[in-house]
Amino acid sequence: MAGIVKPPGEFSITPHKVSVCILLQIYAPSVQISSPFPFASVAQHNRLGLFLLALTKSCDDILEPKLDELIGQLREVFGVLNPRFIDHLTTRLSALLSPDDLFNFFTEMRGILGGPESGALEDEQVILDPASHLGMFLRRCILAFNLLAFEGVCHLLTNIGVYCKEALSSCASYETTCFEDSSSNLEAFSEYENMDLENFVFKKVTEEIEARKRASERVSFHLHAPKALFDLVEDIEAPADPKTKHGDKVGEASSYVHPPNYGLREFEPNSGIFLRTNWQIQGYLQEQTDALEKNGSSFSLNAFELILRQLHKLAPELHRVHFLRYLNSLCHDDYFAALENLLRYFDYSAGTEGIDFVPPASGSSSFGRYEIALLFLGMMHFQFGHPKQALEVLTEAVRVSQQLSDDTCLAYTLAAICNLLSEIGVSSTAGILGSSFSPLTSIGISLSVQQQLFVLLRGSLKRAESLKLKRLVASNHLAMAKFDLTHVQRPLVSFGPKASMKLRTCPTNVCKELRLSSHLISEFGFESSTMTTDGAFSTAWLKNLQKPLGSAILSQENGSGSCENAFQFCVQPSSIPGSVLQLIGSSYLLRATAWELYGSAPLARINALVYATCFTDASSSSDAALAYVKLIQHLAVFRGYKEAFAALKIAEEKFLSVSKSRILILKLQLLHERALHRGHLKLAQQVCDELGVLASSVTGVDMELKTEASLRHARTLLAANQYSEAAAVAHSLFCMCYKFNLQVENATVLLLLAEVHKRSGNAVLGLPYALASLSFCQSFNLDLLKASATLTLAELWLSLGSNHAKRALSLIQGALPMILGHGGLELRARAYIAEAKCYLSDPSFSVSENSEVILDPLSQASAELQVLEYHELAAETFYLMAIVFHKLGQLEEREEAANSFKKHMMTLENPLDDEDPLFNVL
Amino acid sequence: MNSKESCRSELRIAIRQLSDRCLYTASKWAAEQLMGIEQDPANFTPSNTRFQWGSSSIRRRFRTNEITSTPIAGVSYVSTPVMEEDDAVDGDFYLLAKSYFDCREYRRAAHVLRDQTGKKSVFLRCYALYLAGEKRKEEEVIELEGPLGKSDSVNRELVSLERELSTLRKNGSIDPFGLYLYGLVLKEKGSENVARTVLVESVNSYPWNWNAWSELQSLCTTIDTLNSLNLNNHWMKDFFLASAYQEIRMHSESLAKYEYLQGTFGYSNYIQAQIAKAQYSLREFQQVETIFEELLRNDPYRVEDMDMYSNVLYANECSSALSYLAHRVFMTDKYRPESCCIIGNYYSLKGQHEKSVMYFRRALKLNKNYLSAWTLMGHEYIEMKNTPAAVDAYRRAIDINPCDYRAWYGLGQAYEMMGMPFYALHYFRKSVFLQPNDSRLWISMAHCYETDQLRMLEEAIKCYRRAANLNDREAIALHQLAKLQYELGRPEEAAFYYKKDLERMEAEEREGPNMVEALLYLATYYKTQKRFEEAEVYCTRLLDFTGPEKETAKSLLRGMRTTQSGFPSMDVEHFSP
Repeated sequence: MAGIVKPPGEFSITPHKVSVCILLQIYAPSVQISSPFPFASVAQHNRLGLFLLALTKSCDDILEPKLDELIGQLREVFGVLNPRFIDHLTTRLSALLSPDDLFNFFTEMRGILGGPESGALEDEQVILDPASHLGMFLRRCILAFNLLAFEGVCHLLTNIGVYCKEALSSCASYETTCFEDSSSNLEAFSEYENMDLENFVFKKVTEEIEARKRASERVSFHLHAPKALFDLVEDIEAPADPKTKHGDKVGEASSYVHPPNYGLREFEPNSGIFLRTNWQIQGYLQEQTDALEKNGSSFSLNAFELILRQLHKLAPELHRVHFLRYLNSLCHDDYFAALENLLRYFDYSAGTEGIDFVPPASGSSSFGRYEIALLFLGMMHFQFGHPKQALEVLTEAVRVSQQLSDDTCLAYTLAAICNLLSEIGVSSTAGILGSSFSPLTSIGISLSVQQQLFVLLRGSLKRAESLKLKRLVASNHLAMAKFDLTHVQRPLVSFGPKASMKLRTCPTNVCKELRLSSHLISEFGFESSTMTTDGAFSTAWLKNLQKPLGSAILSQENGSGSCENAFQFCVQPSSIPGSVLQLIGSSYLLRATAWELYGSAPLARINALVYATCFTDASSSSDAALAYVKLIQHLAVFRGYKEAFAALKIAEEKFLSVSKSRILILKLQLLHERALHRGHLKLAQQVCDELGVLASSVTGVDMELKTEASLRHARTLLAANQYSEAAAVAHSLFCMCYKFNLQVENATVLLLLAEVHKRSGNAVLGLPYALASLSFCQSFNLDLLKASATLTLAELWLSLGSNHAKRALSLIQGALPMILGHGGLELRARAYIAEAKCYLSDPSFSVSENSEVILDPLSQASAELQVLEYHELAAETFYLMAIVFHKLGQLEEREEAANSFKKHMMTLENPLDDEDPLFNVL
Repeated sequence: MNSKESCRSELRIAIRQLSDRCLYTASKWAAEQLMGIEQDPANFTPSNTRFQWGSSSIRRRFRTNEITSTPIAGVSYVSTPVMEEDDAVDGDFYLLAKSYFDCREYRRAAHVLRDQTGKKSVFLRCYALYLAGEKRKEEEVIELEGPLGKSDSVNRELVSLERELSTLRKNGSIDPFGLYLYGLVLKEKGSENVARTVLVESVNSYPWNWNAWSELQSLCTTIDTLNSLNLNNHWMKDFFLASAYQEIRMHSESLAKYEYLQGTFGYSNYIQAQIAKAQYSLREFQQVETIFEELLRNDPYRVEDMDMYSNVLYANECSSALSYLAHRVFMTDKYRPESCCIIGNYYSLKGQHEKSVMYFRRALKLNKNYLSAWTLMGHEYIEMKNTPAAVDAYRRAIDINPCDYRAWYGLGQAYEMMGMPFYALHYFRKSVFLQPNDSRLWISMAHCYETDQLRMLEEAIKCYRRAANLNDREAIALHQLAKLQYELGRPEEAAFYYKKDLERMEAEEREGPNMVEALLYLATYYKTQKRFEEAEVYCTRLLDFTGPEKETAKSLLRGMRTTQSGFPSMDVEHFSP
């Protein structure tokens, strides 16, 4: 009923607990009855005690073991030596036939508890201390039983019947079920098939029917539905999981959907008999949430949805299920389902579970915390690429959380807005953002989006720090670093005393923020265990259970008396929560990006490598894919395409399931690059178009991809010698970048414009562009790009005539250290060629005296360009070499160089439709 | 219609057969329809007429077109032969079993029939088992209510029943009743497609089983599934279609069907009640009230559908009639969800919301899936300003039936109350999507767009426009439209809407502040447009009102006269005191 949350975790008596009680009786027989089974050794007795301890500790777990599982565990712990326990257990259980038997059983149980006054210990007599763990457990069981109404006793009795029967029947058909589990459990997804699962439960019923059948012989009991029926069944099955149709793929498919499968077994209908507590299911859900976040799209949408639906049936008051359904549909880009489930979740839960929930100190929030719903809705819109709605909703969230003075939510909301503003190009926030949370707008000063973002970031950081939301602080630091990376800080107010401010980005700030964000890990190192929730623990136990039991057998065989291994599942799995690891990981990714921008290739590579090796387990698959992308791009630039494509293949297999993949983008980028180099312009254009299509059509969304696509478009046009078109495209791109404040991209575009003018022979027009690009690079500390701009500048000077050769040469030589240290193959080759050209056009330079000065760089360049298969530049290199050789009079070498020149020109003009397997990928 | 007699004889046989099989609801329904057929004047006897609505005022009042004599062209009914009973004389076992069944000792009845092979016996055995399972399930739901409120109790007979019935069906030794039960079992198990085919098979071979039809109807939630059914053209199909149309909110189609059916079943209470339901959905409260008054006169102990009557009384604020109704149903059967709901409505009308919630809760305890109780309880919570509880109640209503536009509307309202208008918009959108013909919904949505936080005035105007086109009873839309247009600086549009609003008010003979506002605006507007004659008309009308506007009107008039009489360039404002 409305608003009533049931108390979590009632202790209720189940068949499994009854078996544990029986085992307890064996462990500590009551005084009256002499021990039925004298233990072979004290060690064995202790082992039983330890085993019972573990069992009782785990009795709140999400899934109680069935009888055969319990028997299996007993067998493993005690070896084959002691089957008497098991016989005793099963006979006792199956002897419980009437309610009265149960009553007697629990009265008997009371006998094995030592009274508080029984101080005198007899020899070898084990008396359970009522205050001990086992004693407590027993007392709780007895109490729970005494609280049961008669109906409850009846239910317990039927459940015990099912519990025993299942064990017996599954002993017989154990192998077949095992086999079927692995091969055909996909079919089990369809609800229609679930009927078969229920057979276990209804064994009794079927027996009855069988009896009836014998009475009336006419009826045959094979389930052969008429054909029409079967067709309908197929109808039902098909939407559940389309993979069932491909019979040969079942093997790989089943491994692919493993996690849901695992879940399904837990929630198959007949296990519904055993009550589980709130915490346990919450723990399961928590785990699934993490898994979804980490590796969302590898979940099969329908299969997981089916589990969740079943779970919802079992526990209709548990609203977290709706949240998982939301996440599931979010991962599969199902907007409507996601919206529906999100709203439903918050309608039911009123925001009182979930993120960093702080129990309200004052009575103010007794009315639910619906502002969290707004926050989530905003983030969902953001995820689906609806920036406008997202901003609207988040603004409302800010307003509501201010009204209800929910500081935590406000801090998160501000962080979300920052994230939104930095990710999505918004040309003006006028009229969208309320003025209430920015102190400056209230004075009437209109701020640019960037300034507003900065103010917001600062405010959000401060708020998070004062509220001690550690994760939020860390992620705010990351956002700050991101901001510092690409934005120049200007004074916020344009009047007043002007601080002498350099209009440059500040790499040290970035570094500082990054370091601050990784402080988080040390904080979590100290307070390790407090963060894990109860539920997560109990599922962790479940996960570990499978492993240690195997090793328990080993230790048994070694003869060592201790079986600690079997109980190591009581140990906490990991002290650092996954979300923290994820944050730290992303700080490394950001570091890699920063170094990439600043132009240090090795450092960028190292950081990406660190991420790929240390954080892939904890991170979401899209982040991991990003790290791989960075590494592969590095390979392509420094080692050529062959290696890059080999690496790409590996990455593709690894991230097969990631939707909207960065890997796909990377592939298109590489293909485009190579097509340009080889001179396959048609292909280049095609690839470029494909890239453009991947971006969302909403303005402001996927800016990165859009810039990239149109940049590549311009370059393709340039390569096709369509200068004016290329210039036009570049120009409009510049306008867009300017509008959305993408300064770093501006530098690149300006450089491209300079290049266009250089190629079209308008060196004078190109010069200002190159200079502008240079100044952009300077203020954003883009060192490598600056070197490249310097090179272009030198080339421009050179093309103005031989009297500028000296100036060009000095420019190139100034940039050479940077280029040789950090530049890729293409850039280096270009620098070499330009240097050689400078020498050649310098009238005061004599070739015959200093031939090495020219020939060395040229041969270097030719080698590198051949790796890249950059035919055009390679031809130029060989042409230059031929000239030099000609001047030197080395005719043989000249002929060789000329031949190479010819070869490259030929391949450039007649692009072979060669063997390339990657073409037909598209 | 000459089929009246055949209908009657068909129904008579069917009632016998249905009650033989203990399908009581269906036989009750059939009997009601039997009595609903108009008697031939030939065998009118005075004692007969007493049970009939001889002087039915409703029929006179609302029978718009006389369909009685004109059956729809081209409709030819398939005459389904009345089923032959396989064993004319019931066996002794059967008689015993049936009496056990009548005493609700289902398992005992099934046990008696364990070796019987006649179709009738097999059906009764299966049906008894099914009911026994259902009974046990209901009990378990209460017994097993765990900490998570789980309700996974299942009817444990379903599996065995399904096996047996599917085998029977395969052998071809199943009768329509068996098919009905099979369909029921399949539906319960969730195999809806199969259930639908089986039920269609059942109703095609035995159309008089209303239970089967209503199961089938609950499986048809869209018009497409409804159209894809392959049904024989029996007159029972019309009943089915009418009720199915109602369920998928095609109210006028449903109404037409029922009115057509009234040609034959002129005195059927059932049809009357259904017509009332359709009228209620079309918001024709006056007619609904009349129909229910008539119904109660003929059938004073009726509880079914009376909750709807109470809703109408509530809407018309007839508290004494409502209390009378509540008292009556309370005396008839106090533990019916409908009765509790009626009492809840009464308390709500009296402003005693806590008590009202208590009765709605009781109704829900009796029937967890009682849709309107959830929604009404949500309304009560809204009144009590307990928004989270309201949200919860509404949401439950939606989960029971996602097409309940009232609950969506309520959710929107609740969120708007919490100061989250943008969030509320989604819910309003849902509700207008489901019920685009209700002006109140459009007005609420417009109001939401208009809030200070959103100020999305263009959207608000669009909503108001929809509302204004929909015969907006409270006449809010036109006024708001005019105001908004004025705010957005479009004086012409504003004048247009003020004028329309004025016309409306004149037609309905209402006066009030809105009237004054409209007159004042129009007067000033026409004056600035230099259309003095019109302006003068409005000004003189304003003079009839008291208050500051009267003075303004006077000064306006004065200003205009002076302008007209030779000071053309002078601005009026300088003259007004």
